[in-house]
Amino acid sequence: MAFRFTPIQKLIFENPGERMKKDFWSDQSVLVLGGGAWGTVLAQLVSTHVRKVTIWMRDEDLVRSVNATRTNEDYASGLTLEKNIKATHELDPAFQEKPLVVIWALPSKIIRQKARELSPHFSGRELIFHATKGIELESLKTTSEILLEELPCRRIGVISGPNLADEIKDGKPAATVIASDFLEVIEAGIELFSSPYFRVYGSKDVVGVEWAGALKNILAIASGALDGLQMGWNARAFLYTRGIAEMSRFAEIFGGKRETFMGLSGFGDVIATCSSTCSRNYQVGKLLGEGKSLETILESTGITAEGVRTTRAVAAYARRQGLHMPITFAVDSLLDGKLSAAQALQALLQSPSSSIWE
Amino acid sequence: MSTDTIDDRYGPLLTLGERRSEVVDSVYLQTLKELESSELLETLLEEALYQERLRLRRMRPNLFTWPRKRRDQRLWSQIQKGLLRSKLDVSRSELLKKILAHYTQEIAGSFESKVYDFVIQFLPYAFNAFLNAPGIRLGKNLDSKIKLLGPMDRLKKLSKQGTILMVPTHLSNIDSIVVGYSIYLAGLPPFSYGAGLNLFSNPVLSFFMSRLGAYTVDRAKQNSIYKRVLKNYSCLTLQKGIHSVFFPGGGRCRSGAIESRLKLGLLGTAIDAQIQLLSQNKRVFIVPMTMSYPFVLEARSLIDDYLNESGRYRYLPVDSSVLPAVKTLRFLWRLLKEDTYLTVRIGEPMDVFGNLVDEQGQSLGPNGTWIQPREWLTSFGELQPSSDRDRVYTQELGKKIVSRFHRENTVIPSFVVAFSYFEELRKQYPAVDLFHFLRLSVEQRTLPYDRFRQSCARVYDRLKDLESQHYLYLSDELKYLDLDDWIRLGTERCGAVHSSRVIRLEDETVSTDDLTLLYYYRNRLSGYGLSLYADPEIDLRKPGRTDEKGFLV
Repeated sequence: MAFRFTPIQKLIFENPGERMKKDFWSDQSVLVLGGGAWGTVLAQLVSTHVRKVTIWMRDEDLVRSVNATRTNEDYASGLTLEKNIKATHELDPAFQEKPLVVIWALPSKIIRQKARELSPHFSGRELIFHATKGIELESLKTTSEILLEELPCRRIGVISGPNLADEIKDGKPAATVIASDFLEVIEAGIELFSSPYFRVYGSKDVVGVEWAGALKNILAIASGALDGLQMGWNARAFLYTRGIAEMSRFAEIFGGKRETFMGLSGFGDVIATCSSTCSRNYQVGKLLGEGKSLETILESTGITAEGVRTTRAVAAYARRQGLHMPITFAVDSLLDGKLSAAQALQALLQSPSSSIWE
Repeated sequence: MSTDTIDDRYGPLLTLGERRSEVVDSVYLQTLKELESSELLETLLEEALYQERLRLRRMRPNLFTWPRKRRDQRLWSQIQKGLLRSKLDVSRSELLKKILAHYTQEIAGSFESKVYDFVIQFLPYAFNAFLNAPGIRLGKNLDSKIKLLGPMDRLKKLSKQGTILMVPTHLSNIDSIVVGYSIYLAGLPPFSYGAGLNLFSNPVLSFFMSRLGAYTVDRAKQNSIYKRVLKNYSCLTLQKGIHSVFFPGGGRCRSGAIESRLKLGLLGTAIDAQIQLLSQNKRVFIVPMTMSYPFVLEARSLIDDYLNESGRYRYLPVDSSVLPAVKTLRFLWRLLKEDTYLTVRIGEPMDVFGNLVDEQGQSLGPNGTWIQPREWLTSFGELQPSSDRDRVYTQELGKKIVSRFHRENTVIPSFVVAFSYFEELRKQYPAVDLFHFLRLSVEQRTLPYDRFRQSCARVYDRLKDLESQHYLYLSDELKYLDLDDWIRLGTERCGAVHSSRVIRLEDETVSTDDLTLLYYYRNRLSGYGLSLYADPEIDLRKPGRTDEKGFLV
């Protein structure tokens, strides 16, 4: 988001010399926490701009294999890692380099617990970019809120957008959004993550971007269910558009901005996630649409779909607060087995509108 | 105090007295350096001229302020003449220098130890003389009228390790005196403080204040040059280690609630000062202070202002024509005569980011970590100010102060009875909005005593619960007296300074002469999620909200 300073404010607020020096990053080291697909791809993107990248991962065998073969076969096969990327499973050496940038790419379920464990390692000087989409279900807190509560760091940003790791790994073009309260985090993110095939935009709406990343999983389930019912493109467009409206209404309560949902981290991410047949949330939805129950799906496929937990938490909160969220409620009933996919769709189409206006 | 050295007694403020001209020059030069070479200097001057001409047109001078208006008019007509000529004829930086010289002189305060000694000795003496005048003989003194709570010893220690910026809630014009005297009672050296220029119109007050470290703040001056000078002055005093008081709410709180929105401009200077002080290994500490008064002299006009602004045509004010002098006397009389006092709590000290600090002044982080301000203030490898970053820090500090204000609030019986009565009454008329509610008839606003008592008990239980979670403090009366006793005390004291009774207990009923005033005193317990339509999930985290009927939640 661009700043709208009047000339006078510009003079008052902007000090000369606060812009970062050229080539500042080439001498810095970066730590990536988490060696999953997205963590590995982000490490690769950053590696061309800095001196050294360390990926911390729990699996000792994987660490050895990554360092020996320069590939992360388990999560990002086919990607040859740059020479300045090293993997480690120990924390002390990982932090010894005094990384100025830490990329947080750990699964959303263990955020708070991990943040508590890692807290003493941080100095407070680090800029943190987290790439974890999801919310803490009990408190409905976003990842950056949790990191702020648990780490002695203040400058945190989120990286989110239509970013299927597999495509970026293969060098296919994509774009993303970095949202932070701090301009210096956004500037650093644009500098560090950009590549000829990867374009980075900035936003100051941290809450909006984080909620968009979490809520779109509900739509992915709904989208899968529509396909399971063999509905057409019109139905899908209908779902995305009204879904975005519903999501942005919800995020506004927490301080998010509606326009964020029209951007890459909103509509962009919805289109990529809900159209991609490999998304886990989509698959769960599709099987539900085909008439299977949630228990059978989770048992038979063994997949964990973030959207299931998110739907439950969001629907419960919306009911308590009396919010109008017909799509979320329909997905929730579908997950509970209270309604079949066809019934849920029927209920959705015939639910009373809160307004006649779009 | 007699064993203290001069420095301990007057603290760093003494240097302001001794080196006033040096301070004025530094502020002048600093601001000149920042603005002189700017491409936008012309625009800045034009904006200042425009704003000042508007201000002067609106200004209604009295006998004392008339010379000031004339002086200002002369200055700005010179500036206008200058701006009408070309840059080659009249140098813009000369015009800027004129303005800066004028503003720095107007803002800068001074300190004279003799005046301070005189006031500190005279104030209790005057009070005592008044209290123990023949015929009254109450045997009380000023110290017993201010109940000061909080970590004073810790603060005394911190005052030697860094600069303290005290940020009090602001209820009433007497706050300046209460804060000043509380600082003295806490055993701290005198603080510098910003006072509205209008207070300096009175030559007697002006004489004392300008010699007690007060600097002037004129909220009518909205131009960027003035704001810059004011910020630089505030920053420089903090850098010189001069402890300061700054009311972050701007003015007195209109609604009676604890401030939920703060003016961040001057607050931001704390971060600038901290960056400079890091080289000397010194710190700036932000210390909240909260006031709990059972009655506020100006309550009526404050709540009228608030309702007028928020309700406009929906609010119908009732005329009250009591002379200010009569009100003041009534206030003093109540405060002195009755067995009551003003509660002031000094809060937990914080660093400039709003993190709590320990006894040694170290900032506490989460999970047993320490926060090093140097790390938070280093960007791209260098310790330096950064306007965007520091603005975000200041916003965060503002939020933390608001949260601490609520947590450091001492709940006294008057708040509880006002709140319980008001909310119980609301249950009778749940569909009525604020402005219609305030117009309920006398019969409509009368409740049976039993119901009121039950409501008090219920609210009390929830307050106890909140206290155990450190969301607020309960006063000693609430902790140690029986329900009926504190209800009686609370109803007697609540708003006792007004001509109408705020809560009247009669014939097993409870009623009020003035529902608007009741609302004012009730609001001190808003922001805790206790009201009728409150959602504790949201309202404990986000104070200052109004519900769908317009009531402060």
